[in-house]
Amino acid sequence: MQFPSGGRPRAATSAAGLAALLALLLSGCVGPPLPTDRELVTTDPKLIGIPARDKVLWQYRLGLQALRAGRDAEARERLDDAILTMGGIITGTADAARARSLWAAEGAKTFIGEPYERAMAYYYRGILYWRDGQPDNARACFRSVQFLDSAAEDASYRGDYVLADYLDGLASVKLAADGADARARAEKSAGRELPEYDPAANVLVFAEWGRGPLKYADGQAGEKLRFNLADSAARRAVLTVAGQAVPLPPYDDLNFQATTRGGRVMDYILDRKAVFKDQAGTLGDVALTGAIVTHEVGRGEDKDKAALALAAIGLISKVASGAANASADTRAWDNLPQYLGFAALRLAPGEYPATLRFYSAEGRVLSAHTQELVIRVREGGAGDTVVFLSELAKNPQ
Amino acid sequence: MNSRIRSFSCAGLAFGALSLAGCYSPGVENPSGVPVVEMRPDERGFVAGTGVESQDLVAVTDKMARGILGVPEIAQAKTTPRIVLDPVINETRFPINKDIFNDRIVNQLMERAGGKVRFLARDRMKALERENELKRSGQVTASSDPNVVEFRGADYFLTGKLQGLTTRTSQGTSDYVMYSFELIDARTSEIVWRGSSEIKKQGLEDAAYR
Repeated sequence: MQFPSGGRPRAATSAAGLAALLALLLSGCVGPPLPTDRELVTTDPKLIGIPARDKVLWQYRLGLQALRAGRDAEARERLDDAILTMGGIITGTADAARARSLWAAEGAKTFIGEPYERAMAYYYRGILYWRDGQPDNARACFRSVQFLDSAAEDASYRGDYVLADYLDGLASVKLAADGADARARAEKSAGRELPEYDPAANVLVFAEWGRGPLKYADGQAGEKLRFNLADSAARRAVLTVAGQAVPLPPYDDLNFQATTRGGRVMDYILDRKAVFKDQAGTLGDVALTGAIVTHEVGRGEDKDKAALALAAIGLISKVASGAANASADTRAWDNLPQYLGFAALRLAPGEYPATLRFYSAEGRVLSAHTQELVIRVREGGAGDTVVFLSELAKNPQ
Repeated sequence: MNSRIRSFSCAGLAFGALSLAGCYSPGVENPSGVPVVEMRPDERGFVAGTGVESQDLVAVTDKMARGILGVPEIAQAKTTPRIVLDPVINETRFPINKDIFNDRIVNQLMERAGGKVRFLARDRMKALERENELKRSGQVTASSDPNVVEFRGADYFLTGKLQGLTTRTSQGTSDYVMYSFELIDARTSEIVWRGSSEIKKQGLEDAAYR
């Protein structure tokens, strides 16, 4: 590009300076690091080195890992800590405002997860409450699962966790209340008849298998949140104990739950950011092309000055487009299962060797996944024996 | 020179427009969310509530303790009534520490009643029975005959329940929680006192989480 005679170096320097200033100002719009960006201050060796905004994510992962390993106290502590942040209503935080701004990715906010992730934190906490002899608090957790699922765009997918409603009803029956409504809701969501409640069932078996949804960003600017779904080879499980073959059909599929939420308000914001990014880029292209054309074919003594102005606008637009960040948040609770199964049975107090087998859709035993275990049934009056079985405990991610 | 100033003014304007466009979230209502506000239960809210918090616990247990101490069966009892606490039943969607409700009511009653009521530590029965067993077997000393049962029976049972209603719309979340407690005569099964307290809260989370 030719610059007005005698003005080239100064004009070029000014344009470059303006671009640098713009880049600085745009980065300033993101603002200085927030407390949530800093490394978490903790004495917990498992959380050292993570940014504070990812604490809930790690508490989810580590809590589930602890539950699968039978470290209930640790699981309880981690899930409670996550629920403390996730269970409230987050308003007016600087990191959330920044995530909504043009210049920062959604991942700049404090992580609490998508509704299916938050729901699972309550689900696991509910299992632990039941194990601790507090079926009413377990029921509260299962009710929170349905509450968190109640924001789905399509009303038919709202509060449609089958197991959460089914367990709500079972807890009510155990507490000498009426569980019929909850069971009816569960059957409606399942589209099939579910086992009758047995108030005398003293062993509750929770099973999970398959790998849950992961996230990725799609779209030109990475603004679309998408899920990576891998369908488990295992479709159902059967527990063999005390001469009984106890079926553990899948009540819920987390792949289904993750993908049926529909549009988020944040998706709308990300779309607008992507549009801005795209339009600013286009404006930049047009202005820069205009600058060249004006310079090459323009007339009049001010043509080079006009070209310079267009070039500056084009440069600014390109820098703004480059600085805009519409990326969706792809942080995910990545050790969740795909399927949730359940069964309630009666067993006298004592120890029972048991075998957990997983079956493919064709009914073939997936022998590599088979688990041998011992179920220790509590004395009567000590509350229900809650058994938690995870395929992922044997095959962790 | 004037042209250059005009050029950079244009550029500045473009930059300003771009920056302003980027610094707020267009087209989203209440992008920062609406802080949780506490309302009277009979007040019409724009949405409905959220969870059980310490200030609720304090307000509710204070009210319940005052109510219990005003009951004639307690206030005018000729012999000190013995009360057994039954854990509260949680029917809300919020998991709670149930012991804390009973513990605080006991604390309040013990502080305010000046010995007018006594509570029986039924949750410690295993340890107490074990101690009695040790006394009976002579392994530890006893200040009274260990073969005589001295565990007191209850005159009253105090129990409670938390019930909740939740509403969720695009305008936010609202939770109404009713805390009800009752004092039951252990001999006649009569409910001699019943008190309740209601709290309703509502809020809307930041758009980044919606």
